[in-house]
Amino acid sequence: MSSAGDLSSILASQGRDGGWGYRGGSSWTEPTVYALLAQAVQGRPGESLARGTLWLDRAQRPDGGWPPNPTVDQSTWVTALAVLLLAGRPGWAGRDQAVKWLFEQSGRESGWTHRLRLRLLGFRSQEIERHAGWPWFPGTAAWVSPTALSILALQKVQRLSPDETIRKRIETAREFLLGRMCQDGGWNHGSPKALGYEANSYPETTGLALLALAGAPSSRLGKSLAFAQEVFGRCRTAEGLSWLGLGLLAHGRTPPGNDKLKLIPRRHVVDAALCILAEGAAKGNNVFLS
Amino acid sequence: MADCIGGYAGAGRLRAQTPARRRAAGIDRAGDRVRRILAEHRLEVRGKQVVIKPNLVEYDPQTVINTHPLLVHAALEAFRSMGAAEVRIAEGPGHRRGTLDLAEAAGYFEAIPGFEDLFTDLNLDETSHIHLNRPFSRLDSLYLPRTALAADLLVSMPKMKTHHWAGATLGMKNLFGLVPGGVYGWPKNVLHWAGIDESIADLQRPFPHVFTIVDGIVGMEGNGPIQGKPKPTGVIVSGSDRVAVDATCCRIMGIDPQKIRYLRLAETLGLTEEGNVRQVGEAVRSVQTTFELIPEFSRLRLR
Repeated sequence: MSSAGDLSSILASQGRDGGWGYRGGSSWTEPTVYALLAQAVQGRPGESLARGTLWLDRAQRPDGGWPPNPTVDQSTWVTALAVLLLAGRPGWAGRDQAVKWLFEQSGRESGWTHRLRLRLLGFRSQEIERHAGWPWFPGTAAWVSPTALSILALQKVQRLSPDETIRKRIETAREFLLGRMCQDGGWNHGSPKALGYEANSYPETTGLALLALAGAPSSRLGKSLAFAQEVFGRCRTAEGLSWLGLGLLAHGRTPPGNDKLKLIPRRHVVDAALCILAEGAAKGNNVFLS
Repeated sequence: MADCIGGYAGAGRLRAQTPARRRAAGIDRAGDRVRRILAEHRLEVRGKQVVIKPNLVEYDPQTVINTHPLLVHAALEAFRSMGAAEVRIAEGPGHRRGTLDLAEAAGYFEAIPGFEDLFTDLNLDETSHIHLNRPFSRLDSLYLPRTALAADLLVSMPKMKTHHWAGATLGMKNLFGLVPGGVYGWPKNVLHWAGIDESIADLQRPFPHVFTIVDGIVGMEGNGPIQGKPKPTGVIVSGSDRVAVDATCCRIMGIDPQKIRYLRLAETLGLTEEGNVRQVGEAVRSVQTTFELIPEFSRLRLR
């Protein structure tokens, strides 16, 4: 991929099995989902979309989740991406199991056994551990990116078929994100502090968190939005610019110099697809919120 | 055997932005040093697949987080000149997903001709499911990248840094970058839950053929591995016994290796006692320089 990575180059790199690798090679769930989202936002239904969707159908595991790629025998965070893509698909047979798998995941630190263990050892479990986010890999702690993507997926499910338990879960997870904000107003992977030292945020996770917090009161996000606008100006990566753009647009803010995206190297299919999704959002079609 | 070669501070601080003539001179000196190291170890790499694994974490122009790209380039050229069939560079950063963006910001594209073609992002590599034999941690298996598993020789090239959880991050902790984020996420939290020290020890057995070259030219002290301060030390520490190399680095840093938990766990895998390590090059005492430690780790000080 290069700075010219656009939809035609994404289509050209589709694997013979219908899926996509990050930079060629065997197919993985994440690039396949993003390639299909990019096609959807540009209104390109066709054979590629059908083949890619079939790949995802085959990759779904018996427990309802998706693995990172079919050689990994474990459902993980990529399930959120598949749900986000497929939730609106008429007659999707795997929907209920997928949503159930996603709903049942949470960070290990918010589980009652972990908190009880801390209490017995004399620790005060921190306020932020009481709000359940999502882990990258089951049995581990919750982090910003998988939490944000899971929120976006469940929000889509909620829009299509409102459910009070899902609504509450989403709100709890949004509090998790707010609790993981760094001192500068942005977000990193999910450690705003370590051993009392303040950590710096990253552009990509700041944008993604803002996207998942669309609709949150501006009184809680004023500093974050100002920070995101400032960081956009000095960001040099497709991933960072795309997520920042999506996040700012979700709050009605226009990213400064949005045409920067056209000039930045797109390292792989996910980069190229994210740029297309950000460009789509700038034109009023935010696939994550529609 | 662990080598310790000092006095590199006399060559000046390596910078990727250095004008080409000075940079070429710096590369030549670094390349000579690395070739000398490999020759002294009688490292036989002819016809072999070599994978160099530097430490790329985050990029901050104000500090020294990552293995210097000019040293990695020097190692690449040294292995090539010794007849390796192929030399690749590979890394799987634990915090930032944009590996190539990170490598570019850290100067790797500029310093290493054809870098992108030589590089494998281990976070997105094909994996094999590896059973861990007699693990120290609660892990019984890990998905690990095939590029690293298939290497005849894995060259661990860390930065010499303190670490706010493990005490120090050196050659052995550098293998965390072999655990694919594409499977386990960013960060690779499965290792933290299994026990950082235990996971460091567990990652050694799946990779039996490792040579370590520690970039201690300018290390990091204080709140490492990211928010610490540059610590000019002027050494490259290397060896085939990864435990001995890490223990030697600790002594150079003014840290007692016997107080570093992952080294105590890994004592069955290598040598930590100074008397058992054959030191070639400058004596540890002649290059020792006290690295500042966070208060929580003052107990690790070498007395």
